[in-house]
Amino acid sequence: MYFAGVDIGSTMTKVVIIDESVRICGSVVGPTGAEHRRLAYKVMEKALQESALSFERICYVVATGYGRLNVPFADKQVTELTCHAKGVSTLFPGVRTAIDIGGQDVKGMKIINGELVDFVMNDKCAAGTGRFLEVLADALGVRVEDLGSISLKSSRKADISSICTIFAQQEAVSYLSQGTPLEDIVAGVHDAIASRVVGMVRKLKVEPDVVLTGGVAKNIGVVRAIEEKLGCKVLVPDNPLLSGAFGAAMLGRKIVLEALAKGEPIPRSERRLKEATFFS
Amino acid sequence: MGIDIGAATSKGVLVENGKVVAHRLVPSRSDYRVAAEKVRLRLLATVGLSQEDIRCTVATGRGAATVAFADRRIPDIVCCGRGTKTIFPSVCTVIDVGDQSSQVIRIDREGKVVNFVHAEKCAAGSGRFLQVIANVLRINLDDIGPLSLKSNNPVTFTTGCAVFGETEVVSRVAEGDTVEDILAGVHKALAQKVCTLVERLGKEGDYAIVGGGGLDVGLVKAIEKELAVRILVPSQPQIVAALGAAIIAAEEC
Repeated sequence: MYFAGVDIGSTMTKVVIIDESVRICGSVVGPTGAEHRRLAYKVMEKALQESALSFERICYVVATGYGRLNVPFADKQVTELTCHAKGVSTLFPGVRTAIDIGGQDVKGMKIINGELVDFVMNDKCAAGTGRFLEVLADALGVRVEDLGSISLKSSRKADISSICTIFAQQEAVSYLSQGTPLEDIVAGVHDAIASRVVGMVRKLKVEPDVVLTGGVAKNIGVVRAIEEKLGCKVLVPDNPLLSGAFGAAMLGRKIVLEALAKGEPIPRSERRLKEATFFS
Repeated sequence: MGIDIGAATSKGVLVENGKVVAHRLVPSRSDYRVAAEKVRLRLLATVGLSQEDIRCTVATGRGAATVAFADRRIPDIVCCGRGTKTIFPSVCTVIDVGDQSSQVIRIDREGKVVNFVHAEKCAAGSGRFLQVIANVLRINLDDIGPLSLKSNNPVTFTTGCAVFGETEVVSRVAEGDTVEDILAGVHKALAQKVCTLVERLGKEGDYAIVGGGGLDVGLVKAIEKELAVRILVPSQPQIVAALGAAIIAAEEC
């Protein structure tokens, strides 16, 4: 039996396929782009190819993320908070605090015994989200994926005092023009995003284990800066983008296994693996 | 002499016997010290005076500390209040929309500051928001006011963030909204943030708007609509704080 999780984020679409023993058979990350209504099925097809499976063999599909309603081939839609909590607590059973920094939002989750008990979220302001790093990387003329390694060379981080992305961008550019070393500015940028994220997550009374997921977790500079501010180790999964989709697949697996255990039919929706049209 | 070093523009005003004899504006750029010196020299050149002829100089604005030739430094809320009172004696509430911050100042009959609220953490609450949107639409900042007034149907923004707003503008254009409606939507969003500040102080007329935001007729109309009041606009809203600084210099030094 196979289960798929589809996570349509603001920036990236993620698909994970697992089997009943929770082995990951295939996973694909692709850009969401402007036409995410159409793209979901393409990313799904790629994941099926990678797993050498046909769509008919997928027992259950759970969609999550802000684009979850645009997945006509899903059996069920589940919010990303629930899926992230499930995914993270499967990977790290000792997790108490999960932080997910996505392309356009940031979430903090309090998890006790694998259950989501509280959360905080910001999707109103670019500060503290992946967008902050994108804007700053662009202003500094470096690739966002290089920020982490650049910042590790810094010995004296520049102080970025603005919370607002636009004002921080201006501060960073003026440091550049004053001749401040690039690595020190980047380290300052990481410190700024970490302050914002930790300031928000503190409302949950942070307890270890702390796990960081989302695309920004790939940036070692941000991971270190958050560790410094929290004063504890921050755990990061091997592929931090996939935890939402993985959690979605896990929830699908749970639904199916529970139905089978009770001898009930699997509560599947009538689904089609094809492009979503505007009206579907 | 009054010198106001703002985040985007540095302003200078020369006052003689209570009358403005010269005013000058220069971009602040990255070095406030250079900007201050430029304003000083241009002011003096305009009236053919030398530094010895200046009895007293008051500096204000975020770069006030860098004005080496100033005799005194006074907070910009004080100067804004004083400058506004000189132009419009009936005003109680001064709305100052600058490049990097917005503030609302309550003044008494003498133009003294009674209370104020200040917002500088977020670009979406300052004039910078207008600049960001004008850039993405490739429109001159001076043109956005008149364009916005042509709108019949302002768009409603789903975000209160200048960065996300920029993205939303791009998708609104793609969806076929007109530039006029988008600009009117941006003005409305900024006006709502300004109104929140006014409401924190409590509404009390008359109202005036100063700072670069006062140059944008679309923004002024949007704030008038949100507050349901009329707002007085000086002919040169950007130099009001510098004017206040010059008047204080004339009186107190």
